[in-house]
Amino acid sequence: MKRLSLFTICLIILVGSWLVLRFGIGGVVSVPIPASVIAMYMGLIIIAILVHISVEDSLFQEFLRPIRETLVDDRRRIRRRVIAVLIPLFLLGYTYSIIAQRASPPGSPRDAHPSPPLELTYKDEVIGTMQDVVNPFRHYEKDDPEAFKAHVENGRRVYYQNCFYCHGDHLDGQGHFAPYLQPLPANFQDPGIIPNFQESFFFWRISKGGPGLPAAGAPWDSAMPIWEDYLTQDEIWDVILFLSDYTGYQPRTFGEAH
Amino acid sequence: MKNRNIAFLMLIIGIVVGSLPSVVTDAQDAPEASERGKEVYEESCAHCHGTEGRGDGSAAENLLPRPRDFTRGLYKIRSTEAGELPTDQDLYDIITEGMPGSSMPGWETSLNADDRWELVAYIKTFHEGFKEREASPREITLADKISYSEESVEIGKGLYTDLGCIECHGNIGRGDGTSAPTLTDEWGFQTWPANLTQGWNYRGGFDTEDIFKRFIGGIAGSPMPAFEGDSFLHFGLTSEESKRLTELENKDEMTEAEEEESGLFYEKMDAAVDVALNRTEGMELSTDEQQTYDDAMKVVYEKSWHLANYVKSLMPEERPEPAIGNSVLRSQYVQGALPTIDDTAWETFEARYFPLVGQVVIEPRQFNPTIDAVNVKSFYNDTEVAFLFTWDDRTHTVDETDEETGETLEDALAIQFPVKVPQGPTAPKPYFLYGGRLPVYLWHWKASAPEQVTELTAKGVDNVQVQEVQGDLQVTGTYTDGRYKLWVKRVLKTNDKKDLQLDPGVFVPIAFSAWDGSNGDIGTKRVMTSWYTFVLEPMPSSRRFVYPPLIAILSLGLLVGLRAVVQRRNS
Repeated sequence: MKRLSLFTICLIILVGSWLVLRFGIGGVVSVPIPASVIAMYMGLIIIAILVHISVEDSLFQEFLRPIRETLVDDRRRIRRRVIAVLIPLFLLGYTYSIIAQRASPPGSPRDAHPSPPLELTYKDEVIGTMQDVVNPFRHYEKDDPEAFKAHVENGRRVYYQNCFYCHGDHLDGQGHFAPYLQPLPANFQDPGIIPNFQESFFFWRISKGGPGLPAAGAPWDSAMPIWEDYLTQDEIWDVILFLSDYTGYQPRTFGEAH
Repeated sequence: MKNRNIAFLMLIIGIVVGSLPSVVTDAQDAPEASERGKEVYEESCAHCHGTEGRGDGSAAENLLPRPRDFTRGLYKIRSTEAGELPTDQDLYDIITEGMPGSSMPGWETSLNADDRWELVAYIKTFHEGFKEREASPREITLADKISYSEESVEIGKGLYTDLGCIECHGNIGRGDGTSAPTLTDEWGFQTWPANLTQGWNYRGGFDTEDIFKRFIGGIAGSPMPAFEGDSFLHFGLTSEESKRLTELENKDEMTEAEEEESGLFYEKMDAAVDVALNRTEGMELSTDEQQTYDDAMKVVYEKSWHLANYVKSLMPEERPEPAIGNSVLRSQYVQGALPTIDDTAWETFEARYFPLVGQVVIEPRQFNPTIDAVNVKSFYNDTEVAFLFTWDDRTHTVDETDEETGETLEDALAIQFPVKVPQGPTAPKPYFLYGGRLPVYLWHWKASAPEQVTELTAKGVDNVQVQEVQGDLQVTGTYTDGRYKLWVKRVLKTNDKKDLQLDPGVFVPIAFSAWDGSNGDIGTKRVMTSWYTFVLEPMPSSRRFVYPPLIAILSLGLLVGLRAVVQRRNS
């Protein structure tokens, strides 16, 4: 078998690494790698190749040989002509596609976890500081399981009369209104939601809804209603119990260390 | 040795392949009802369907269609004949896939297959009929399917009129028939005939086979009849006989011979209807009666396939994609006058699709939308922009009085923009529901005044003001066959500071609200969208014809130059 020329090997390494980065690691194994990161890796690989071939003069000449041959050797005439057509054609298409591209609309970046105010309020009544307020019915979980169950059941009723249109029968954010809302309704089955926040945080988000979000995280397009207009405090606390009971996730607490 | 390995491998492949179809395609039966089924039911279903299965869970009162009452044994989506209960597989499929267009979700990802089968078993305990059932239910055969063709669609189209589908489903299937607003289901709740052009809202799927099964089996509990007995035109007659009878019936006066001829037809039909009734009641049929029934149903099956093909022809293959991401609403540039409402230029491209959801934020709320979406197209020129909005509404309501509140209901549409376009992606937009701290600019159109829109400025639903200076907007609104068409034209730049000013290339937030008067929509009780995006698509730069060829020529020059250099060096 004929030995591959140094140039071909370098070309294979270059194309091969790009394919792996773009489709191998990026597309199949995990989330796609951003194009800028790929460009950085590719730059490093090109530098490595250049360093390698310029270490010795003979190696460099060996690398240049196929290029030189293609350019001037009469035996490589066909290859030369093909390349002379392909490269300009590729550049023609590429520049055209870049210039003719339609502008994309602005994205809507948003804060996944808006910062709550210091004080928790219901309508205008102050309940306490965000840090200290706890769910008044949470203690029943240990003290009085029957009463706890009644609160969870009431929370279930509240949920299915008000919330499931968007947040879904299964609390997975896939209610029948959900696909047509932006941003999508919260998915309580996502392990990153309930365990990350105190119950007072949920009380704040439920009672104030989309309009109550802080200005810092604009643009808020959330369709979440201001639930304090429709639900009593107890109902909001109950629905929070239901959310954690149904999903099995415990909200974050800042209790004493175990 | 090698051969033996291959033989062994072949054997394994054979076994695997042989056993596949029985696993994949065979319909299953549910296990015996168990505690597990009850547990899953109470955790996942009871909030809508009620713990007793009566369809009266705590969420039920806000839902339309209502959750199914399992105690009556009336199931809409079945693969079984008229009057039969569904198969276990039917129930399993509905639980798995859900019912599009209703609040019943698919449970495929949230419940495993065993639990779904347990549910089927448990749901069956709510209705005695399942227990008493001895033989397995008679299933609808799909064996004689007439495949889709222009010809079949044409026959189906004729049948659509002849069989009376028009009365509920309307001239071209948008659910806008004359009796559409009067329909109720078995439980007395209002029910709307399907908009046949929106396959994605069909509860039981929109494959031709699905549609066919709804014809033969009917949609139990709803006004949609099964095609059998006296609910089918000329049941018992062949297609030719049916044609002849129609001909006779349309005559002003019949001769004696013709009277006699039609009399014979009526006798034949009566006999067939009787047989069908007896059969439904479970009576044994004699060989002759069976023959009469089979002959009658053969005609029904054939016609139903043609009709199913016609219905299939009314809808797009899939629900259109919402206008998000790169498929935002782009207004096309034209030179000269903008097309008017009936111009064919509007047909040259696809509309953008803005699905509507119920407004559930501010009281009074709308939990049960009847308008699916607004479709929008737009053109602009150097000074003006024109929009074409279309949306399906089953009724043309201009002044209907709400029985409870005494208010006047009517159909309407509002198109909403911010007064000032937010600069940059993190700039705040006005609140999506009629604005708030930041104001919105609205065009409000009402069906009672189809030739005008009112310009509004709003800072919230309870802070809406009619603009003092009404701009010179040209408007045409029409309603035909269950579809509103609204054409609006405005200049890009106005002198009114409260108006939105438009520039090509600027992405502008846009949102919609719509009211269906016959669904009780008024004020905040409406359907709506959150913010979408609209842009006057700038003319593509003419540089695109200059730079690319230049670069191509340059690269060729470089190659030639490089060659010359190498050649000189070599020599």
